[in-house]
Amino acid sequence: MNPKSWTEEIAEKLAEESGLPELNELQWETVRFLRTYYLANGKAPLNRDIRRETGMNLLEVERLFPGGIRHGARRLAGLPNPKSC
Amino acid sequence: MKEVKFTLNGVPQSCTREDNVVLLDFLRKDKGLTGAKQSCDRKGQCGACTVIVNKKAVRSCLTKLSSLEGAEVITIEGLGTPDNPHLIQEAFALSGAIQCGFCTPGMIMSAKALLDRNPRPDTDEIKKALARNLCRCTGYKKIVDAVKLAGKFLRGEAVPRDFMPDERAGTIGVSLPRPNALALATGTGLFTADVKHEGTLHLAAVRSPHAHALIKSIDTSQAEKLPGVVSVMTAKDIKGTNRVRPDQPVLCEDKVHVLGDAVAAVVAETEEQAREGVLAVKVEYEPLPVVRTPEEAVDPSCVRVHDTIPNLCYTHPQIKGDAQKALADSHMVVEEEFSTQLIHQSPLEPEAALAYFEEDPENEEEPQLVVIGRSIYIHYHLKVLQDALGWENMRYQQVFIGGQFGIKMDITAEALAAAAALHVKRPVRYVCSLTESMWITTKRHPFTMKVRLGADRDGKLTGYSMDFTVENGAYVSAGQSIVNRALYMLSGSYNLPHVEALGKLVYTNNAWGGAARGAGPPQVNFALESAMELLAAKLGMDPLDFRLMSSVQPGQSISTGQVVDEWPYPHCLETIREHYERARKECAASRNGRLRRGVGLAGGSFGIGRGGPDRSHVAVELMPDGGLTVYGSVADPGEGNDAMLTQISSHLTGIPLKEIRLVTRDTDRTPDSSSASGSRVTYMSGGALVNAIEVLKKAMDEVGAKSYADLVAAGKPTKYLGTREAETTFLDPKTGQGAPFESRVHGVQMAEVEVDTETGEVRLLKMTAVVDAGTLINPTIVEGQIEGGLDMGAGMALRERYVHGETKDWVGSRFPTIRTAFDMEIILLQTPRRRGTLGAVGVGEFVLLPTAAAIITAIQNATSGDRICHLPATPEKVLKSMHKGGSPS
Repeated sequence: MNPKSWTEEIAEKLAEESGLPELNELQWETVRFLRTYYLANGKAPLNRDIRRETGMNLLEVERLFPGGIRHGARRLAGLPNPKSC
Repeated sequence: MKEVKFTLNGVPQSCTREDNVVLLDFLRKDKGLTGAKQSCDRKGQCGACTVIVNKKAVRSCLTKLSSLEGAEVITIEGLGTPDNPHLIQEAFALSGAIQCGFCTPGMIMSAKALLDRNPRPDTDEIKKALARNLCRCTGYKKIVDAVKLAGKFLRGEAVPRDFMPDERAGTIGVSLPRPNALALATGTGLFTADVKHEGTLHLAAVRSPHAHALIKSIDTSQAEKLPGVVSVMTAKDIKGTNRVRPDQPVLCEDKVHVLGDAVAAVVAETEEQAREGVLAVKVEYEPLPVVRTPEEAVDPSCVRVHDTIPNLCYTHPQIKGDAQKALADSHMVVEEEFSTQLIHQSPLEPEAALAYFEEDPENEEEPQLVVIGRSIYIHYHLKVLQDALGWENMRYQQVFIGGQFGIKMDITAEALAAAAALHVKRPVRYVCSLTESMWITTKRHPFTMKVRLGADRDGKLTGYSMDFTVENGAYVSAGQSIVNRALYMLSGSYNLPHVEALGKLVYTNNAWGGAARGAGPPQVNFALESAMELLAAKLGMDPLDFRLMSSVQPGQSISTGQVVDEWPYPHCLETIREHYERARKECAASRNGRLRRGVGLAGGSFGIGRGGPDRSHVAVELMPDGGLTVYGSVADPGEGNDAMLTQISSHLTGIPLKEIRLVTRDTDRTPDSSSASGSRVTYMSGGALVNAIEVLKKAMDEVGAKSYADLVAAGKPTKYLGTREAETTFLDPKTGQGAPFESRVHGVQMAEVEVDTETGEVRLLKMTAVVDAGTLINPTIVEGQIEGGLDMGAGMALRERYVHGETKDWVGSRFPTIRTAFDMEIILLQTPRRRGTLGAVGVGEFVLLPTAAAIITAIQNATSGDRICHLPATPEKVLKSMHKGGSPS
């Protein structure tokens, strides 16, 4: 997905697909942080950035999303993974 | 062992070493002088280690320390510094003779020895003096120019400032020296193997002697007992996925797929101890049948290279119109099979990596693993390493890159060094030999291509079909992309209303292909341009006029169905016409003797970008001192991206060049600018830079800020991110239709050769290249890219062929030398592209598209024999092509 075409509705749809009927405030907070970070820095944050910003420990963040941070939260936030050619 | 006294850069030395210690090791290991490089496994083949001993250029890898009693030794560090360079170093920088810079210190030392004894050398004398110095990037032309310019400086006939562009000329279209040139010319630019870190252990890998075998057992017990051995790792010690690509392990678990696969890694206090440890690891293999060719691989009875994946692992069709009907209805059809060979991209720098931990104040439990290497795609490779090794807090730090030509789109030594550092919790360094580097890196894929090309009675192209098989080797790497890219550019420069193609990718147990300058299009363009030549001959048409009338015109579509709105190829053909006519006249005069001359043309059009969706991010920050810092993971393995970023920044902001700083090598400090591949850097990352500066200017305008202080006072940020996103698509998997690129570089090349009709030897006399890459930001750098590409293309046409397990060094790979260097004339056209960065596109890979076909046509023109369809055109093939009825393959 092009990160520019991301909307909150898309995040909700993706969440539903991954087994989350709706996102709670902590989950939204994390998704919004990921997007804000990506749009400001041109890359996804490392776990230490997420921990610093959300105040949660990694395990807590990982547990928030099916697939954890890399395959769950990042996907909901519409962040592209760098890909090989 | 004896005491030896000599001077090193004027400083007296007294040392006692074993008799077999060579000067190169003394310089690099004992003295920390890393300007002299090691590339050829101390065989004296590359000259990268050249220093001056008693006024003569010598290869320090062959010079025993014990032979230096009373000698005067000068290394690159003894010549000058970036702030106070020697005139020869300045001449190299001003001439554009420095691309990756790995060979440069050795070149400069050879040049100094020559100029000290002969202040006014001619071209032949320069070539003779530099005959032992290899360069893969430049094609040697600008190196010869640099030595001549240095002579002028040293004779007092000119001074460097005479050759610096006038400041009033601005910074676009101006050949300013690259910002990094003097660091590379003085040997102060560090490559991976030059980086030192305290307490570093050394790694050596246990590699498979089999091309295909099961691993029955690995016994590390004896190795672990050896002095200095700290640990012996196997796959079970890697905590992540253990994969650098989906099918490629860091360390093999239960099966090896190619000769040289790593099965264990020994970490020891010294390199020697690590190597001894490797010999003590006992691996029991059960050999499996070896899949040697694609034909064998696709036989249903053939064993699989990867148990869960068919050997025919990827296919992609392309269907535009009805090519079969068009060909059936054609007045004239040519049908031929072509093939290209496996080639090592041959960056001069061997594979190397260093990994160590740094304390992370934000994370006491998980320190940051720093991986130093030569990746041209650091953010992607960071992710690969994180997943493969199961460690998230990691930073990839790129240093200077000693050439790459696609090979560094894959990581090699980094994964093992990082895995070992994680395993033993100490810094680990892994520097590969040249032979090992050849074993563990990707290659240019060999293609076989069955082609049919038709035309109507007027010579108008009707249809084109091509079935091509790509030998993948043992791992996919970029293989699928290579097939796709071949389809993206299948119709080359021409209007082909009906196209049908099928690309197949097939595993074997051979060396595996990957990104290689051009990555697919050079192979298929060789076939297309050859077929164009055959068809022109059959139609009795002039090859130039035939190409001209066949060119795509704006409003027409390429083989992917994408309709193009700009296509300046015809202008390239018209520009070369006068050169072609001159060459034809000259060649016609030498058609009857033993040495016969011939001329050949070929063209090409190359899409800029990754192909399909593409994005780059670059940020700029206005600094308190009024300077500008540019942030982006924009690798510069020699293309001059440092110049591109600084020249564009200065042009758009008015900030002087010396106040533009670049931060490009560190995943923590840069946004993801994607890869330095697909000739995309100027177009995509240059475009992102333009966007970032626009955003900065807008922010300043909004508050009327004229400076950093104004911005801060207005409460505005001083750093802004720019993005460039290509409006492109992947191909439809069923039809191969889509819009993979926004823009293209075009050109035509002309080869002039002399063929010895008794030996079949081909001497390439001259290549003339007309290239339209849009607006030129730095013409000398663009020229340098083209010259280096022509030399590489000539190698593909005439000489180079890699045989896994047999090709072990630069002599075996037939690395082009200054002795095989030829005359080149580069003609640059500038049609600004609508979507280009200030009108510019890229150029580095395109060059390889026409070269082989142009040279093969010139050979046929000289001999009047059959066309050689299978590369390289060795003397044997040339002789065979001259015997009517004989197969030229």
